[in-house]
Parts: sequence; structure tokens; C-alpha cells
Amino acid sequence: MTSTNPILDLDRVREIFDLAGSYLVWTGGKYRDDPYPLWHDLRQRAPVQPGVVHQLMGVTDDIGFHGLPEPDREHFSAFSWAACDAAYRDPETFASSPEPVDVESGQATITNSLLSMGGAQHRRYRALVQPSFGPARARWWIENWIDQTVHALIDCFEAQGRAELNVEFCAAIPVLTITGSFGVPVDQALDIRETVSRQPDALIEIIKPIVAARREHPQNDLISVLTHSEVSDEEGATHRLSDAEIYSFSLLLLAAGSGTTWKQMGIALTAMLSRPEVLAAVAADRNLLRPAIEETMRWMPTDPMFSRWLAQDAELEGQHLPKGSVLHMCIGAANRDPARWDRPDEYDISRPLKPTFGFGGGPHVCLGQHVARAEMTVGINALLDRLPGLRLDPDAEPPTFGGLYERGATAIPVVFG
Amino acid sequence: MPGAPRPTAIHVDRAQCMGSGMCIMYAANTFAHDDETKAVVIDIDGDSLEALHNAVEACPTGALALVYESEGV
Ligand code: HEM
Ligand code: SF4
Repeated sequence: MTSTNPILDLDRVREIFDLAGSYLVWTGGKYRDDPYPLWHDLRQRAPVQPGVVHQLMGVTDDIGFHGLPEPDREHFSAFSWAACDAAYRDPETFASSPEPVDVESGQATITNSLLSMGGAQHRRYRALVQPSFGPARARWWIENWIDQTVHALIDCFEAQGRAELNVEFCAAIPVLTITGSFGVPVDQALDIRETVSRQPDALIEIIKPIVAARREHPQNDLISVLTHSEVSDEEGATHRLSDAEIYSFSLLLLAAGSGTTWKQMGIALTAMLSRPEVLAAVAADRNLLRPAIEETMRWMPTDPMFSRWLAQDAELEGQHLPKGSVLHMCIGAANRDPARWDRPDEYDISRPLKPTFGFGGGPHVCLGQHVARAEMTVGINALLDRLPGLRLDPDAEPPTFGGLYERGATAIPVVFG
Repeated sequence: MPGAPRPTAIHVDRAQCMGSGMCIMYAANTFAHDDETKAVVIDIDGDSLEALHNAVEACPTGALALVYESEGV
């Protein structure tokens, strides 16, 4: 199929967002099995145990994610809700980085950022960006970027009676939302997505003139908010973000906010489309979309593992963890801990709402979670509004899930009308 | 939890609050952010007891506590 999408080159999007393609092999993109039975077994064996999650699962490929490979450290993995919860609630012991973060003179990478900071540094930096990402700010994101992106994408396939929602819809929304909020034109958006993990400097070259321009003349976009926001510390001194801090943050936003929201929205759609009675219920009563999305975050978080570095010796659920070791919190397993949820493997949107670790927890809890929820809600609502009779294509392979440390749907072929 | 007592106050530790908005996510009629992006209680009876417990549990910095008047008085 050749690309007819006026706002995005869909063939390029397909290549960049192919779960098993070269871009995602490192995080276990080739993995096609169901990890949950193995995680149940591992949790039952011990809530915390020596080893790395994928190796404990018997996966011998050289794959990794946050906190890996770190060959010179001891590794432990946590599989229960209680163990992950205890680690999240004690960031002094379970630190987000083994060494201090230096955004100013250090290298521009995804981890040399907010994600790895601790204590007062994390607090100060996060306070500067948090106001733009609160629940009350969701409307700002929707009106400026999400709404128009969602509808422009549906315009592209509405008349065709069919679509592949994973790439033509889910993948494109988050990239265009974030780059839009940077003030970057659409034709540069894919260049950015493509280079973000391999050549972070290329992103900085694109962002640099925008930051300089917004310092002079603020506009109604995120970079302007970042150049102008101020926060006072305990001593009363005010802080603003430096250029280097804004570059580091922009890099993190793209890395943390585009692949995740894409795959999580695909998982949500697949879960509903594969259960026509659930989809029909949600279509008829849109109040059910929220529990459907929250249940998706529990049932299959796209990133099922994040890591912490031990700043001192600790005991966790009977396992001794020496200072300097790495703890991999398998939040995918914690989210299906039978000690916390009945019938944990069932996707059930009528469960009473309860916090999950789908967006993490503790002080590093996802900054973009309210934006991500807005993207998924606006996106799925628009599909239901504009594509009556939306259903899986009966003549195509039904969607399956893949990926190990970044999970998502393989493809979501649908028909409508 | 029908019949369970409702809190008489909700304590927000402003020094701990990092403005995550999780409490608002779970109990939107009870909590809001002030202009420093710190949580404030707008209506102590705004949400169900379950919603309040979710908010307290979800708070990433443990900044929220439900206060019951009979406790320790
Ligand atoms: C459904 C989609 C998303 C999922 C599943 C997700 C998941 C997560 C998780 C689990 C963490 C915690 C990492 C840790 O504990 O070390 C996190 C952190 C973060 N996320 Fe998200 N995220 C999503 C969307 C977004 C979006 C849309 C943005 C930005 C627009 C974003 C920005 C961030 C940032 C900046 C952090 C680091 C926060 C900090 O360290 O203080 N995320 N995310
Ligand atoms: S959940 Fe906690 S940290 Fe987040 S806004 Fe509410 S009180 Fe503050």
C-alpha cells in the first residue's frame, strides 16, 4: 500500500514502529509468547529473587531495558505487588540511578535526565515541569494538539472502510502530540522520532532554535512554558530551566511519551476489539471507557519492568539486596498479583477501580500519565464516534501481543461501516 | 464500605506533595491543585470512601492522610 496520508509518511511510520523491526529488537521485540504464566510461577517461587527478569523466564537473547545490562553488578527481580510497592515507597534506598545526574555538562542521553535524578534535585526539577502535566492541563493538550491530530488521522482512512489502527492511528498520535507541543512542524516529526534513541544530538539541533526563539517571544506551547517557568526552593531562591535542562527534558519526553502511549493505546483497542461485548458496552456508555483504559494499564502495561539501584543494603520480602546491586521491578507481574486482584488474568472492566503500577509509582511516577490518558480517551472516543460498526477485520489475522520489555499489539486490522 | 465512618479531615503534607495529580485522578471531587500545583481539599464529602482510599494509596510520596476525629482524642 502506498502512502496517501497527507500529514505523515505512513511507510516510514510503519518501519519505525514495527515491533519486531530493528528499532525495537534490543528491548525484546522478537518475543511472541505470553509472559504472564511464567511471571506467576516466578512470583510463587519467591517474590524477590536473584536474577534478571528475562533470563529468569528462560530468554537467552541479549536484550535489555532500564537497568540493563550493567554486567558488573548483582541483579535481583521483584514479582509481587508488595515488593514493588515497598521499593517504590523508599526512593532513598531504591535509587533511580547509581550515580549523580549532571544534565549541565554531562552527555545528552535519555537517562541523563529527570528519570535518573534523586532527592532534592528530582523534586526541584520535577516541580518545574509538573504544572504543564497535571490533570487540569489535559484540556490544554487536547485542544492544542491531540484533537486535531486524532481527527486528521481518521480523515485519512475514514472513506476506505478499513484501517490498520496500530500504525495508522495509535503510533502517530503520541509523536505528533509531543512534537506539536515543542512547536516542531509535522514534516520534521518523524526525523525526530527516528533519531531520538540513536543520535540525541540531532533532536537538540532541531530544538535549539525553537528554545532560543521562545525565550524571546513566548507562544502557547510547551517549550515556552519550560523557558518561562520558575520555582522557588526551600531557601527562597528561584530557579529556571537552563537550555541544557530543556534539551535533556525534551529528549526524555519523546523517548518516554511516544512509544509507550502508542503501544498502550494499541493494547487497549485490541483488548476491546477482541471482546465485542466490551466494545459494544463502551460504545453505548462512554463512561465505561475510563475503567476500560485503567484495566488495560493493569492487565498489560506496555513497559512491564523498571529498575532501581541499591543505595545501601536492604532486605526485601526476605531477600538480602547488597548496596550497588540492581533491582528489576516486574510491574507487569505485580499488576496481576492474586494477593491484590481476584482472577488477575481476566480483562474485566467492571472491577472496582484500584491503583496499579501501569504508570509506575513513587516520586518517579509517570509525569505524562494525564496526557497519555487524554490521548487514549480522545483517540478511542473519536474512533467510536466516527467509525460506526468498528470491528476486527474478519478476513485478517487477529491481533496478537508481542515484545518483552516493550509490549504491544502486532497489528490491528479493522473494518467499519 | 457502607456504614464505615468517613474521615473528619484530610491532611495534605505540602512539603511532601509533588503535584502528581494522582489524588485528583482517583477523587476528582475532593482534591484540586492550587496555583503552586499542590493538592488542596475542595470538598471532604466529594467522593466515596473507596475513592479516598485509592487517592491515599496512589499518592506517590505518601503526602495524604485521612483523619478520624475519634482517633487519639
Ligand atoms: C500509556 C503511556 C505511558 C506509560 C505506560 C508510561 C509509563 C511510565 C512509567 C512506568 C514511568 C516510571 C519509570 C520509573 O519508575 O523509573 C514513567 C515515567 C515517565 N514518563 Fe511515562 N508513560 C506513558 C506515557 C508518557 C507520556 C505521554 C509522557 C510525556 C508526555 C511521559 C513522560 C514520562 C516522564 C518524563 C517520566 C519520568 C518521570 C520522573 O522520573 O520523574 N510518559 N512513565
Ligand atoms: S497524589 Fe500526593 S503528590 Fe500527587 S498531587 Fe495528590 S497529594 Fe500531591
